[in-house]
Amino acid sequence: MHPAFSVLIFTVTSGAGYGLITLLVLAQLAGLPALQDRTLLLSGTGLALAMITVGLLSSTLHLANPKNAWRAFARFRTSWLSREAVFAVLFYPVALLYLFGIFRQGAELNGFFTVCGALAAGLAMVTLFSTSMIYASLRTIRQWCTPLTPLNYLALGLMSGALWLTALQALLQDKLSPALQGTALGLVLLGTVAKLIYLFWIGKPAGATIRTATGFTQASVRLLDAGHSAGTFLTDEFGYNVAADKLLRLRFAMLGLAFLLPFLLLWQGPALAMLLAALLCMAGLLMERWLFFAEARHVVRLYHGAPRT
Amino acid sequence: MAKLGLVVDLDTCVGCHGCATACKQWNTSGTIGPLSDSDPYGRDPSGAWLNRIRTYEVGDTPNSKTVNMPMSCMHCEDAACVTVCPTGASYKRKEDGIVLVDQDKCMGCNLCSWACPYGARELDPQQGTMKKCTLCVDRIYDERLPEEERKPACVITCPTKSRVFGDFDDPDSEVSKLVRERGGQQLMPELGYNPVNTYLPPRNKKAVEVYEVKPSLGKTVKQWVNKVIAR
Amino acid sequence: MNTLTTDLPCDLEPQDLIDTLAVELPEFEPRESQQTKYTTCYMCACRCGIKVTVEDNKVRYIQGNPNHPINKGVLCAKGNSGIMKQMSPAKLRTPLLRKPGTERGAGEFEEISWDRALDILEQRLAHIRATDPNKLAYFTGRDQMQALTGMWASQFGTLNWAAHGGFCSVNMAAGGLYTLGHAFWEFGDPDWANTKYFMLWGVAEDHSSNPIKLGLKTLKERGAKFVAVNPVRTGYQAIADEWIAIRPGTDAMLALSMVHVLLKHRLIDDEFLIRYTNAPQLVVNTPGQKGDGLFYRSPVSEGKASEIQVWDLNSETFADASRADIAPALFGEFTAPDGTPLRTSMSILVDKYLDDQYAPENAARECGVSAETIERLALEMAHVAFKESITLDVEWTDWAGRKQTQFIGRPVSMHAMRGISAHSNGFQTCRAIHLLQVLLGTIDCPGGHLAKPPFPKHIPPGIKPAKVSAPNTPLKSPPLGFPTCPEDLVIDGDGKPLRIDKAYSWDAPISAHGLMHMVISNAVNGDPYRIDTLMLFMANMAWNSSMNTAQTLEMLCAKEDDGEYKIPFIVCSDAFHSEMVAYSDLVLPDTTYLERYDTISMLDRPISEPHAACDSVRIPVIEPDRDVLSWQEVMIEMAGRLGFPAFTREDGSRKYEGYKDFIINFEKEPGIGFLAGYRGKEGDKSLRGEPNPRQWEAYEENEGFFEFHLAPNQRYLRHANRDYLELAKEAGWVGSTDQIVIELYSEKLQTFRLAGQGLYDGPMPTEAHHKARLQKYFDPLPFYYMPLEEQRIDRDEYPFHAVNQRPMFMYHSWDSQNAWLRQIMSQNYLFMNRVAAEKAGIEDLSWVWVESHNGRIRVQVKLMEGCNEQTVWTWNAIAKQKGAWGLSKDANEATDGFLMNHLISELLPRKGDELDRVTNSDPVTGQAAWYDLRVKITPAAAGETGTWPTFREVKPLPGAKASPQALSYATHRNVNLKRPMHDILTRGEK
Ligand SMILES: Nc1nc2c(c(=O)[nH]1)N[C@H]1C(S)=C(S)[C@@H](COP(=O)(O)OP(=O)(O)OC[C@H]3O[C@@H](n4cnc5c(=O)[nH]c(N)nc54)[C@H](O)[C@@H]3O)O[C@H]1N2
Ligand SMILES: Nc1nc2c(c(=O)[nH]1)N[C@H]1C(S)=C(S)[C@@H](COP(=O)(O)OP(=O)(O)OC[C@H]3O[C@@H](n4cnc5c(=O)[nH]c(N)nc54)[C@H](O)[C@@H]3O)O[C@H]1N2
Ligand code: SF4
Ligand code: SF4
Ligand code: SF4
Ligand code: SF4
Ligand code: SF4
Ligand SMILES: [Mo]
Repeated sequence: MHPAFSVLIFTVTSGAGYGLITLLVLAQLAGLPALQDRTLLLSGTGLALAMITVGLLSSTLHLANPKNAWRAFARFRTSWLSREAVFAVLFYPVALLYLFGIFRQGAELNGFFTVCGALAAGLAMVTLFSTSMIYASLRTIRQWCTPLTPLNYLALGLMSGALWLTALQALLQDKLSPALQGTALGLVLLGTVAKLIYLFWIGKPAGATIRTATGFTQASVRLLDAGHSAGTFLTDEFGYNVAADKLLRLRFAMLGLAFLLPFLLLWQGPALAMLLAALLCMAGLLMERWLFFAEARHVVRLYHGAPRT
Repeated sequence: MAKLGLVVDLDTCVGCHGCATACKQWNTSGTIGPLSDSDPYGRDPSGAWLNRIRTYEVGDTPNSKTVNMPMSCMHCEDAACVTVCPTGASYKRKEDGIVLVDQDKCMGCNLCSWACPYGARELDPQQGTMKKCTLCVDRIYDERLPEEERKPACVITCPTKSRVFGDFDDPDSEVSKLVRERGGQQLMPELGYNPVNTYLPPRNKKAVEVYEVKPSLGKTVKQWVNKVIAR
Repeated sequence: MNTLTTDLPCDLEPQDLIDTLAVELPEFEPRESQQTKYTTCYMCACRCGIKVTVEDNKVRYIQGNPNHPINKGVLCAKGNSGIMKQMSPAKLRTPLLRKPGTERGAGEFEEISWDRALDILEQRLAHIRATDPNKLAYFTGRDQMQALTGMWASQFGTLNWAAHGGFCSVNMAAGGLYTLGHAFWEFGDPDWANTKYFMLWGVAEDHSSNPIKLGLKTLKERGAKFVAVNPVRTGYQAIADEWIAIRPGTDAMLALSMVHVLLKHRLIDDEFLIRYTNAPQLVVNTPGQKGDGLFYRSPVSEGKASEIQVWDLNSETFADASRADIAPALFGEFTAPDGTPLRTSMSILVDKYLDDQYAPENAARECGVSAETIERLALEMAHVAFKESITLDVEWTDWAGRKQTQFIGRPVSMHAMRGISAHSNGFQTCRAIHLLQVLLGTIDCPGGHLAKPPFPKHIPPGIKPAKVSAPNTPLKSPPLGFPTCPEDLVIDGDGKPLRIDKAYSWDAPISAHGLMHMVISNAVNGDPYRIDTLMLFMANMAWNSSMNTAQTLEMLCAKEDDGEYKIPFIVCSDAFHSEMVAYSDLVLPDTTYLERYDTISMLDRPISEPHAACDSVRIPVIEPDRDVLSWQEVMIEMAGRLGFPAFTREDGSRKYEGYKDFIINFEKEPGIGFLAGYRGKEGDKSLRGEPNPRQWEAYEENEGFFEFHLAPNQRYLRHANRDYLELAKEAGWVGSTDQIVIELYSEKLQTFRLAGQGLYDGPMPTEAHHKARLQKYFDPLPFYYMPLEEQRIDRDEYPFHAVNQRPMFMYHSWDSQNAWLRQIMSQNYLFMNRVAAEKAGIEDLSWVWVESHNGRIRVQVKLMEGCNEQTVWTWNAIAKQKGAWGLSKDANEATDGFLMNHLISELLPRKGDELDRVTNSDPVTGQAAWYDLRVKITPAAAGETGTWPTFREVKPLPGAKASPQALSYATHRNVNLKRPMHDILTRGEK
């Protein structure tokens, strides 16, 4: 699949934003001492909202006809993209109320604002889940059509959110909260495991071949002519090809940036290192998302001559 | 209700692209139009087409067989392209099963094209909306056209009559008969889209008897006897 | 839309359903601003009938005319893309004159008015006509108005006219017309409705594009067997039941080996041979003496012309071959009363093909087709011809006036085209295939190979090429015709060619369509002489229709020492900015096919079907938006200005106002004109009748064509069918009602051979190579010989055959300007068999050098399975010169596409002998030998990519707008289906 930059930015930043706000609310509600701090809550929520907003704005860049974007709520009942849009929009009022609550009441939120926070956290996760289901529901792309996709999206969103939260906390409070550090380390481990399982899983040969796709299962099948000599929408969108050795190098870079380095920095722990960890992770996740697209092989490629997906 | 679609005969399609350009010219001013083109006179020209012809070789030298395979929207019964569409632009008509894209509502997110296994949806490079086969809905019901012309443009034009249009729900329709008689096949049925369009596989090689002969009759004309045949 | 029906019946029939649904749909088309008009497609020479919906002078939709005899409603990819031809940015807009002082080829033009353009042309032509008319060479390309251009040339008085047939398919036309009286090509069709076994030889697309496709469908539905003989398996061959991957150039061997098998088992149609062919006719057998190989004729006696003789088995005497009441011997050796030894043609034939040379085992080695396959194919055809024959119970009268009660059909049919014709052995190969058909008795019978009116004709048609030209005087006969003996050659007393293309010279005696591919080269070399003006119509001679394109471009710009161009003046009529435009001095912009009046005439190559004589017209459907004039009008205008006798009255005033008037009123002979339909004052006469002033309107009313159905008794065996021949004579298609006797043995060829042997009473060649060629290639019976290029190169050095195929969706050079069609293909590849490539270390999609004796090109390779292992091929004419055709300079056609033409020489490969300057063509007909090409292939060095050679960029034409970077063509805004909100929200739910 062709990785559209706007979609990469969107899923990575909004994922981190949703992860951040979810963890923040949970930690605050759970009474984690570090989170009973108005400044941290304000800046954390603000950052989350900013990331989510940047992400959503970026996502509209990928629309070829954005003037109809408002119609995206129409098919809530069947479309995960529509659901994502609806949840994303529903998220805003409660998240803003929560922000308002913190602004007015600091960490000591009344019931109403607490509920808003809980709702925001819930909607954040649901939105993130919806995003992941857009991909996971596509039977045409073997590499996406798996429960591993939502698992990865959720794990990586929470992981990057945790890194941001830890970084903010460390920066604002001078002293790193071991609980946050522990959570973040745990989530990085979870993310790593989820990603490794995913990579292992998509490496297994499976799925349709050019023979099954054309129905000529008795003999070898080769494409002689695609019916066009230059590219088309289909070849641009689905025919994205990257050399195998380049993919491998990128995978290692991605694992290092998104997981290994943040993990090490987090382990060590000076405040600035936390920020670095979060930033490196974001870069790593951009690569991860790029690979998520680049390694996804749509079945229509078979009709364009690919021997298998 | 009707289940309209096409049968495509792989035994007779010569890959002429007639159906592809007939489709382009009809639909560019049709309900889904225009079908735009980018760099039409420059490098790597491309554009939105609703029907494309691909050619495959089955088997290895020297026993290969060439097969031309036109592909347009299959008007799937379980059309995920419709369920994934967030705007409601994509829809499948209850009346006849035709899958359409409402040009006024599409936001150009491409998701439906991702959901389509058959490469039947193409984004219009100038309009930014999704284009796909309409089954020529603007011909087949148009009572101002003579009845025999109320067929998809690609069907009317096909010089080998390899495309047949009809109602798959009607067991007596030509398409249903062809599917029965010729062992019609869906593409990638395992994906569960239930495509309506059906492909007739190439027929087996026609066997012809040889003239039964005795061993050679002789090497020179001298041995040949004239028959008396009036001029 | 019709009125609303509100209550829906619950048990809907599909039709009811459609009716009720229709009411919900909007009116999609703005009918009030639309009109429908009928005309004839000219995206190619198939000439399908089209129905064009026009909206505000823009084409909404072009559709096949379902009533049209050729295409019956279907259209091909090109025909369906006419909109984009009309939209082409490469359309010429106004006459152009090369700017004084600029170089030819630089493309510097000034726009001039039509008045000025016509004055310039008139002046030049008037001078030539008054001095030496042969100094005008007028050659036409893919046109369909040879009846008019040929007549114009004879009126002008130049011998130097021909259409493109000489580089196209004259081998097929001549092979048929010197054997059957009709032909493959456009003169015959398989009987699609009845044939049970169909063999297709060397055809990728043909001129009969849509009818072949319709036909293949019909026969596959009926369960007939379809065998394709072709080195490449694409297109038609893809759907063949059996694919014979023959090595190029060896088809005669395959055909004659099948003949060998049939003869070995005596599986031949004796009756057909005796009644309808010259097989029983007696041939003089006196090798080395004058008269050898000619027919034995009765002595001339008083009041009776000499007649070819046969041996009558009834009376046991010699008898006139044309008598009806005899039983001629098919085989045997006889002695004439004067002691001359005689054999029947058939005896010679049997002896020749029973020879081991043609045994399947030997043929297999040559053709790459196994001996078993050859034997089996022959016996399969014999089975179908003789065991599955069909009879039609129809009463008819034969040539001798005898009533017959049925037509016997031997349902085996064949079709062949350029895979056969584009080789230098194509004429004899074509005859070999016809021989196979004739032995099986499959000619013009039900299920066989049918003729299309005005064919069959007597063998050959009775027109002789003109030889004499004089100032201000029309030729006595047309420039092209059909020689039957050396006396008919167009040579001077010293045996030197009189025509610029050396047609009808010893180089190519039966070049019935001229040799257009030689004109530029000969004119520049002054061999046989220099010309003044080269006038080209619809021929891209600066590119894809020339052999040796790179050098042709140099030749077009070659100058004398005094600075004058070797070809002083070049005029071209084109509708588009083709490569030829830049190399012309005067460019006359034509209309497009949707903008002009035209006729597809019975005097030319009409659109007839086997059982109907048909012709058709073009009628403008779009108003031109440019300053263009159809070439038809230019021809009539020039004919008037130059005062051609046929175009002027006694007083010198013009006879015809313009083209339409000319078509209505011109009569070739009384009652016969360009259009055969709706003749007579009332428009009620067909085929022959006085001019009808309303003829165009009548055609328009009949959707642009005319169809005259033959009666059931006139439909078969027309060469010997009096009911048909009488009609044909009345219609002017044949000169007499005499039987047309199929010529398996060609005495006409033998006369040339005798001339080569020095045994002829008449013109004879003086040069050794001419003598040798006549002796070898003018065999009166078809035979196989290695194509000439192969004979003169090192076959090990150049191991691959290189051929072309027509893409079904492009017509030569002219569809790369079509925005839709070029999306299907804007780059061509060199296709190669995968196994062969692996042996040669060549990878898929790599760039390679392809080298022939004539030059080299760099191309990109694509590997495939369905290709003969010794063959490489590409799609024809995809490459373009930078800047031509309204394409950007980095267009794929210019940077990555390639022309095979650079590798093909118009002359034979050099060997340092007299043949070095002889045309690379069939030695009998002068047909250009495009597919004789042999090449070697080597990988290009790393980093060497892109096509080579490339040429200088063509300048944009004055006033040309930049081609658009995006298109969104539509004649009106789209009308969406109306949908309720509920629908929008809920669709897709289960
Ligand atoms: N779409 C389209 N239609 C056209 C044209 C066009 O440009 N485009 N051009 C028109 C013109 S001008 C012409 S002349 C006709 C030509 O029509 P075709 O006769 O169909 O011409 P080609 O495409 O040259 O096809 C030649 C075929 O012969 C095969 N071949 C080559 N060498 C041999 C051989 O030695 N033996 C055998 N058995 N086969 C061989 C090639 O693989 C190829 O398939 O088409 C006309 N129709
Ligand atoms: N290598 C190789 N070369 C070949 C062949 C091959 O098989 N291989 N095939 C050969 C054969 S068979 C043929 S017939 C030739 C064909 O070659 P050409 O006769 O050159 O055919 P085209 O390129 O189709 O068109 C000729 C010109 O007609 C112009 N034209 C188009 N429409 C109109 C119109 O309405 N009016 C006027 N006045 N001009 C118009 C076009 O712009 C173009 O410049 O190519 C030959 N060349
Ligand atoms: S073929 Fe593709 S676009 Fe058409 S209905 Fe099926 S999934 Fe949708
Ligand atoms: S591109 Fe248009 S039709 Fe397709 S899913 Fe998006 S909004 Fe729906
Ligand atoms: S049915 Fe109509 S829209 Fe669909 S492929 Fe055929 S011509 Fe195109
Ligand atoms: S028009 Fe018919 S023969 Fe041509 S590509 Fe389409 S289906 Fe095949
Ligand atoms: S075959 Fe195609 S291009 Fe040629 S006349 Fe017919 S429709 Fe036109
Ligand atoms: Mo041709």
